Amino acid sequence: MKSNFWNRLRTIAIFSVLVLALALAPTFAQDTTLPRNETVYFNGQQWGAVVGWNPYSSNNNNAMAINQQDNARVLMFETPYLYNMLDGQVYGLLADGPYSWNEARTELTFSIKAAATWSDGTAVTAEDVAYTWATHVQYSTPTGAANTPYIADIIAVDAQTVTIQAVLNDEGAAVNPLIVQAYVSSNYVLQKAWTETLEARAGGDSTAFLADTAEDVVYSGPYGPYFWDDSKVILVRNDSYWGQDASMWGSLPVPRYLAHNIFQDNAAGTTALRAGEVDVSQQFNSNVQDLWLEDGLPISTYLPEAPYGIGASLPTAFFNLTGSSYGLDNVAVRQAISMAVDYDAIIANAMTNQSATFDQVPRSLMNPTPGEQALYDQSAVSDLQFAGNDVAGANALLDEAGIVDTDGDGIREIDGQNLSYVATCPNGWSDWQAAIEVVAAAGADIGIEITTNYPEWSVYQTVVTVSDAPLPEGYDIFMMWSDGAGPTQPWSRIRHLLSSEFVGMSSNWNGNWGGYVNPEVDALINQIPQETDPAALNAIYTELVRIYLTDVPSFTLMYRPQNFHTVNESVWTNFPYDGDGTEPPVPPLNLMDGWSVAGLYNLELVNP
Amino acid sequence: MKKYRNYFVNKLGWFLVTLVAAFVLNFILPRLMPGDPVAAIVARLAQGQSNATGVQAVYEQYTELFGTNKPMWEQFIIYVRNVFRGDFGYSISQYPRTVADVISSSLWWTVALQFPAIIVGWILGNTLGALAAYLKGNFDRILLPISIFLSNVPAFGMAVVLLVIFAVNMDIFPTSGGYGHDMIPNPSLEFVWSVIVHYQLPFWSIVIITIGGQAIGMRSMAIYELNADYVKYARFLGIKDRKIIGYVFRNAMLPQITGLALSIGTMISGALVAEIIFSYPGLGTTILSAVLGGDYPLISATTLIITIMVLVAFFALEIFYGLIDPRIRAAQSD
Repeated sequence: MKSNFWNRLRTIAIFSVLVLALALAPTFAQDTTLPRNETVYFNGQQWGAVVGWNPYSSNNNNAMAINQQDNARVLMFETPYLYNMLDGQVYGLLADGPYSWNEARTELTFSIKAAATWSDGTAVTAEDVAYTWATHVQYSTPTGAANTPYIADIIAVDAQTVTIQAVLNDEGAAVNPLIVQAYVSSNYVLQKAWTETLEARAGGDSTAFLADTAEDVVYSGPYGPYFWDDSKVILVRNDSYWGQDASMWGSLPVPRYLAHNIFQDNAAGTTALRAGEVDVSQQFNSNVQDLWLEDGLPISTYLPEAPYGIGASLPTAFFNLTGSSYGLDNVAVRQAISMAVDYDAIIANAMTNQSATFDQVPRSLMNPTPGEQALYDQSAVSDLQFAGNDVAGANALLDEAGIVDTDGDGIREIDGQNLSYVATCPNGWSDWQAAIEVVAAAGADIGIEITTNYPEWSVYQTVVTVSDAPLPEGYDIFMMWSDGAGPTQPWSRIRHLLSSEFVGMSSNWNGNWGGYVNPEVDALINQIPQETDPAALNAIYTELVRIYLTDVPSFTLMYRPQNFHTVNESVWTNFPYDGDGTEPPVPPLNLMDGWSVAGLYNLELVNP
Repeated sequence: MKKYRNYFVNKLGWFLVTLVAAFVLNFILPRLMPGDPVAAIVARLAQGQSNATGVQAVYEQYTELFGTNKPMWEQFIIYVRNVFRGDFGYSISQYPRTVADVISSSLWWTVALQFPAIIVGWILGNTLGALAAYLKGNFDRILLPISIFLSNVPAFGMAVVLLVIFAVNMDIFPTSGGYGHDMIPNPSLEFVWSVIVHYQLPFWSIVIITIGGQAIGMRSMAIYELNADYVKYARFLGIKDRKIIGYVFRNAMLPQITGLALSIGTMISGALVAEIIFSYPGLGTTILSAVLGGDYPLISATTLIITIMVLVAFFALEIFYGLIDPRIRAAQSD
């Protein structure tokens, strides 16, 4: 009897589950899976869950949608212009034709394309541009705070025409025309009507305004939010996107969905790339060449040979010049350490050769792009461009400077005090840690004691960004980043590496964290934004490189790409590569930053 | 019954004292870590700003929001008041997400992975350990070294081995994620199946290691009990083996139950290794990044949940022991 009851119950349960499954399956089946032939998968952009979609805020952790920078991310929100790091030019996106300066270079004017519309179908207007700026200023957003020293106002002259008025100096010239013109390719245009909705919701409170997750945001770009959770974020194409107008792209971007699964670390991301679950990889894949040479996978990089990508930024070791590191105020000590470092070992080990060497691209203040390399006279400074691993030269330099080991303990002294330093970078930043180990090893070769220490980033950042006091013990030589490629480069990178204007800041997220002060350098940096004569600019840049390589307040350890860009062509092909014939050339920035978004319109299916 | 009531009150008192102490420590300890978590938010906002006053204003705005500019005692009072209202505030590292939102979105992945893995590992491990002790011979000779090996394999090692064999080389299971890399959560069979398939490797990477440790523990305890005087006496009395084995394993089980309670109590801390290796959603990596980033509200909330779960598990266990084992009740209430 009991057995019969359980058998009957089991039969009913199985039958019920089957009926439920059959009922549910057709209802939801169409939305369960993204069609592979319509979806491009990414990795290396989004770490952790998306927090919000508020383009006024910097706290969205929404890498696919929001990134206002030199090469702004323009999948969802759009800038007036797109910067192309390969040719250094800007191309109109929301803007119609090139921008123009007035004769005094105090006002920059451009027009908005007549075809440009928002995702709600209304037109993008000059008033939107002006209101976006006014909102940034009113709510002290990061964009507003960063640009108010340089931009006085942005005005809608008429429905299509925008004028940016620069802040003027005592001579009546723009304080910084470079930053004014960079604004148009770095910052989004946002809809006035939606901004007013957001303002009403926040009730005038700037914290609430910036904390709003803005899931109702209106956008002008080709993609909008589709789905996001702790595991992934998916954007879907807006098939009414204005850019299919002949005045812009003339068509919609090829993929319907852009998806980014959230991986916990690079290893998981690389595994997915190998498995064909990632099409475009913006992460460091160690020994990337093995993926095609050893494993025979249809994976490639922008350049077929090392360094595989276009170096754009210069991860740099800074010397502590704030007075708390004994002996580092001596130029010979700084020169000797930087000469003795084996940079080839750093590039081979830390970057698995995904960086040009300093023999291939001699060190300066420029990144390896041809445009920046042409900006200074290399022959004038070639005798200063050390390539590293010059232990004999470093020892000779120190001996000549009278910095010798007098007590026989193997460590050189100045005035009887040993030269002993700590080199540091954040814990877990494995490529930086590998580089710092090589720096420490160089010390042993030249009689300078260099030990290593790796604090957590949460601690490290709070220490090195305090520039109004001497750095504490343990931060004698420390790594930080430098600017990549952009419309204000290399001026902005040089400023961030050398300008003393950041010394004295209580929270310095700009640069010159070592506290280098040189009035001559400051004067040269201040000249550049006003200078339009290429020959004069070349002379200034060359002089800055000469001073930098002579004073060595910091030293570049490797070249790093703006973005890593590795593609798996199992499903999609025709990704940008060096010499692909595109004109203007599409840069390897993962089909989403600046002009690289043009690559989305060139993609083809391997099996249509 | 009076003895049991004394026992219960005694345990409840200690439970409350421990809870209060843990509550205070959960608040204080994260705040003693070096580093300033608010600086991380300011870092995101201030990059590229050369306006020192602006950066300082942003910093002050957020220290006010998170209350880190107030004295510790004042922060504590605010914290207590908010916790009793169920408000753990904003996560600093994932601002403007609330702590409740961060935890609730990861919690169920962690519970769904950890709880069955702990239970299955515990049952299989104890069964195998008991059988090894009872059957002896070849079964024991094979099981013991395997168990020792499994219990000593680092968790990440087991996860990577399973990943390489079953996901990368054999392509039987997916390499990462909690569900299909090309799927969107929805109430369909396809999605449920995807979750089940993605569940396998993280699940077994935990279970296999758990089995080893449990089997060794159970085997040792069972061998000890099998050689106890009461077993010999029972055999002299002619009691059937099956009956004796029942007594033996009930006694051997007691310390194993303590281990089980501890595992269940701490499961909310997440299966960090499995989450990282398989990019599986869950609280483990959330807590790790909260600790590394000095996210006080998130650390305090998660450690409070873990504390309460451990205390509740142990309290329940103690009460349960008191009920089933008169020796404990008698000893504790004296």
